[in-house]
Amino acid sequence: MDLFLQRLFDALTNGSTYALIAVAMVLIFKATTLINFAQGEQAMLGAFIVLQLWKWGIPMWGAVVIGMLFSGILAACLERTFIRKFDPADHLPLVIITLGLFLVINAVAAIIWRFDPLSFPQLFPSGKAVTIGNARLSWYSIFAFGSCLLVLFTLQTLLTKTKIGLAFRAVSSNLESSRLCGIKIGQTLQFGWALAAAAGTLGASIYAANPVLQIEPTIMLRALIFSITAAALGGLDSLWGALLGGLTIGFVQSVVVQYIPFIPNEMTLAAAVVVLLIVLTFRPSGFLGTKTVERV
Amino acid sequence: MIKTLLEVDELTATYGQIEVLHGIKFHVQPNEIVVILGANGAGKTTTLRAISGMVETTGSIAFNGDSIIDLEPDYIVRKGIAHVPQGRGTFPELTVEENLRVGAFIRSDNEIKADLDSCYETYPVLYERRMQSAGSLSGGEQQMLAVSRALMSKPELLLLDEPSLGLAPQIVEGLFERFKKMNQQLGTTMLIVEQNAQIALAMADRGYVLESGEIAVEGEAKLLVNDDAIRKAYLGG
Amino acid sequence: MAPKITLTKDTPQYRNLRALMWISLVLFFLLVAFAYVDVGSIAIGSNKYNLSLIRLNKAIAYSVAILGLQVVVGYTGQIALGQSFFFGMGAYISAWLVADHSWPFLLTLLIVIPGCFLIGMILGLPALRIRGLYLALLTLGLAALFPTIVKLDSLYAYTGGAGGKLTTNKVTGSQYKFAPPSWLPLDEIAQALQNIPLVGGYFGDGPLSNREESRMWKFILFSLVAAFCFWLISNLIKSKPGRAMRAVRDNETSAAVSGVNLAMTKTISFGIASALGGIGGMIYVAEVGIASPDDFSSLVAIYLIVGLVVGGVGTLSGAVIGGLVYALIPDWASSTQSISFVPQRWLQGPTGSLILGLLLIILTLFMPGGISTAAKKVKNRFVIIQTQNKSGIV
Repeated sequence: MDLFLQRLFDALTNGSTYALIAVAMVLIFKATTLINFAQGEQAMLGAFIVLQLWKWGIPMWGAVVIGMLFSGILAACLERTFIRKFDPADHLPLVIITLGLFLVINAVAAIIWRFDPLSFPQLFPSGKAVTIGNARLSWYSIFAFGSCLLVLFTLQTLLTKTKIGLAFRAVSSNLESSRLCGIKIGQTLQFGWALAAAAGTLGASIYAANPVLQIEPTIMLRALIFSITAAALGGLDSLWGALLGGLTIGFVQSVVVQYIPFIPNEMTLAAAVVVLLIVLTFRPSGFLGTKTVERV
Repeated sequence: MIKTLLEVDELTATYGQIEVLHGIKFHVQPNEIVVILGANGAGKTTTLRAISGMVETTGSIAFNGDSIIDLEPDYIVRKGIAHVPQGRGTFPELTVEENLRVGAFIRSDNEIKADLDSCYETYPVLYERRMQSAGSLSGGEQQMLAVSRALMSKPELLLLDEPSLGLAPQIVEGLFERFKKMNQQLGTTMLIVEQNAQIALAMADRGYVLESGEIAVEGEAKLLVNDDAIRKAYLGG
Repeated sequence: MAPKITLTKDTPQYRNLRALMWISLVLFFLLVAFAYVDVGSIAIGSNKYNLSLIRLNKAIAYSVAILGLQVVVGYTGQIALGQSFFFGMGAYISAWLVADHSWPFLLTLLIVIPGCFLIGMILGLPALRIRGLYLALLTLGLAALFPTIVKLDSLYAYTGGAGGKLTTNKVTGSQYKFAPPSWLPLDEIAQALQNIPLVGGYFGDGPLSNREESRMWKFILFSLVAAFCFWLISNLIKSKPGRAMRAVRDNETSAAVSGVNLAMTKTISFGIASALGGIGGMIYVAEVGIASPDDFSSLVAIYLIVGLVVGGVGTLSGAVIGGLVYALIPDWASSTQSISFVPQRWLQGPTGSLILGLLLIILTLFMPGGISTAAKKVKNRFVIIQTQNKSGIV
C-alpha cells in the first residue's frame, strides 16, 4: 500500500510536467490545428535561459518570469518568420518545419551550454510535506501540481475574460468567420505561440527544479512523447484535458507499468506509444476534446 | 447626386487556376437592398467573398469612393462592411453572447453593451440562450445570431450569403421581414445573395442575375419579378 | 543567355544523348570508387573533410531508406516518419542471420524484404483511419520505440541488448568476407587509372590491398542492389499501382471516386517503403559491422526526413542526394575545426544536427522541391525536351 501511494505521488510529479508541456501543445493546436514537434525543445531552451539569468544573479522566480517572457517573444518571432508562410491545411511542410526547429533549438542549446548536467535552482521548498506510512509526498510534488493548476486557471481566465483571449478562441473555433469579424489572425496566432512557449518554459523549469534531477539539453526529449500522448489523450483542443491527460500518463508511467510484471522499466515509453496508438485510432478526440478531429 | 456606396467594375475572381467571375459590374446605393440571384456555382458566394477580400481578384471595388480591392479582410471590416457567410459562420464553441462580442471586435467604444441589449430586444430567443454555445442553436436561431453579430460592428453595408439556406419557409419569411425592417429603421444597406428568388425580389429594391460568372440580367426588383426568363428559371414559370 | 537546346523524345539524337549520359554516370561512379577506395580527404582551409567508400556505402544505405520514404511520403502522400524502425529491423535481422546462422549478407534479403514488408503493412494499418499530422505523430512514436524493443531482455539472444549485435560470425569468429570474384580486373583498372598523366596520383599507388578490394566489392554490390531498387521503383511509379498512389496523394476523395482502392494502395505503399527501409538497414549493417540500438532512434528517423526533404520529396534523384547529405554533412560539420569568422566555440557540439535542421527549415521555405527540383529547373533553362506528335512532325 505504501509503495502504491509512493508511486501515486511520483505520478503527480511527472504528470504535472507532462501536463504543462501538453497544455502548451494544446494551445498551439487550438489556434492552428498544428502539432508543434519543437515544443519540448522550446521549453528546454526557456529553462536554460532561466538558469542563465539565475546564474547572473537574478532572483529565482524573477528569472523564471523573465525566461517565460523571453521564450514567449522568441516563439512569436518563430511563428511570424516560419509558420505563418504556410497554408494551415497543408500539414506536411509545417510538420517538417517544426522538426527542423526541433533539431536547431536542440543543437543551439547544446552548443551554448554543452551537455554536462547543471544544477537548476530549487524553485520550491525541499523536504517532505506529508508522510503516510512509508510513502512520502514531497513539497516539490505539491508545488509542481499546484503550479499546474495555477497555470490552467490563469489560462482559463485569460482566454475567457480578455479580448485577446476571445479572439484566440474565435480563431480556434472558426477561422474564416474570425477574419470576417476583423480579428487579426496573425497577431492572434502569435499570441497563442507566445503563451504556449511560456507555459512550456514553466513546465520545463519545474521539471528541472526537481531535487533529484539536473538540467541538460536532452532533458525534454523523452518528455516530448509523453506530453504529446498526454495532450492527445486529454483531447488535443482541451486545456483541462491536457491536465487530465498529463496526470493519466504520469499514472500509467509510475503505477500501471510497475504492476504489470513482465514489462520492464523501459516499457514506460512503449506504454505511452501504445496509449497514443489507441487514442488516435479509436478516439481521436480523447477525454475532453471536441469530436470533429480529422478522420478519413 | 447620391454617392454610390459600393461600386464594382470588371471584377474577376480566381480560385487557384480557375476563374470564377469574368469581369462583372454592379453597384449598390446607400439604403438600398440589392439582391444577386443565380443558380449554384454561378459565382454568387464568390462575389461576396471578393468584396470581403477573401479571394484573389482583379478589377476594381470601391467603397465610399475608396478602393478596397487589395485590402485584407480585417481592414475591410473596419471600413464598414460586414459579411454573414454562407452557412451562418457562427462560432459553435463560443456562447451566443460571446459570438456577439466577437462581432463587436473592431469597436472599442462604450456602447457595445447597449447594442447587445437592443439585439436581445429584437431577438428575445437569443437573450434566453445567451449563455448557451452557439452550436446548440437551431438553424433559424443561428441565422438570427449571425446577422446580429454582423450588425454589432455597426456596418454601413451588410453582405448576406444565402440567408434562407436550410431554413423552414416560415422562418425565412420572418427573417426577411426583419431584414426589411432593419433596412427601413436603421437604414442599413444590404447586398443579399440568394437562390430563393421569390422572397428576395419581394423585398429588394434592385436585383442582378448571375450566370456562370457573368451578369445576365439586371434591373429593378419589381420588373425582374415580371420578367419572363426569370420567371421560368427562378420563379417556377 | 545560352541558347536553349531542344531535344525531341524518341529520336536517335535523344536516345544517343541519354546513352551517353548513363555511360558517363557509370564512368564517374567508377572513378569515384577508385579514387576513394582508401580513406581520402578534401582539405579546405585548415579543415580536413573525409570522403571514402565507407561513407559512400553508408550513403547508399541511407539512399535506399529514403527511397522508401519517397514511395510512402513522396508518391502516396502519407506522412509516415518512422523509417528508422525498418532501417533498424533490416539491420538487426541481417546481423542475426549472418552472425548466428552464417548466411551471406545478400541472402538475408530473402527474410528482410518480406519481413519488413509485412510489418510495414501492419504498422501502416492506422493510416487507414488517421491522416496528416496524427499519422506523423504516431509513426514518430513507433520509431521512438525501436531502441526500446531491441533492448528488451527477452530478445537479448537475438539483439545483443544495449551493446548491439555484431555481425561477426559466431562459429568462425570473423567478419563476413566480401571478396570480389577473380574475373573482375580491379587491379588492372586501378593500374590503368594510376597511369593517367597528371591525375593518376588520385587513384592510389600500386594494386589494391585485400581490404581495399573488399571495400570496392561491397561498394559495387551495394550500388547494384540500390540501382536495382531504384529501377524497380521508377517502373512502379509509371505503372498502374504507381498512378493509384499518386492519385491518393493528390486527392483521396477523387481517387476513391475514380475507383482506386484506398486501403489497398496505402497498405502496399507502406509495405514497399518498409521493405526498402529494411534493405537500407542491411546495407548499413554490412558496412558498419554492428547493429546497435541508438543507431536506429527516432533522431535517425528525423535525419532520414531531412535527407528526403533536402533531396526533394517525390523524386528519385532526391533519394540519392538525401542519402549523400545524411552521410556526409553531419560528419563534415564536426570535421570543421575552424572557419575564419566563426568563433571556435560555435564549431564544437552538435553542429551536424544544427545544419541539418537549418537545411530543413530553409529548404522548406525557399526550395520546397529540394535540390533535385531546383536542379531540374536549372536544366530546363538550357534544355527543353519535347515529345513528338503522332505524324512525326516536331
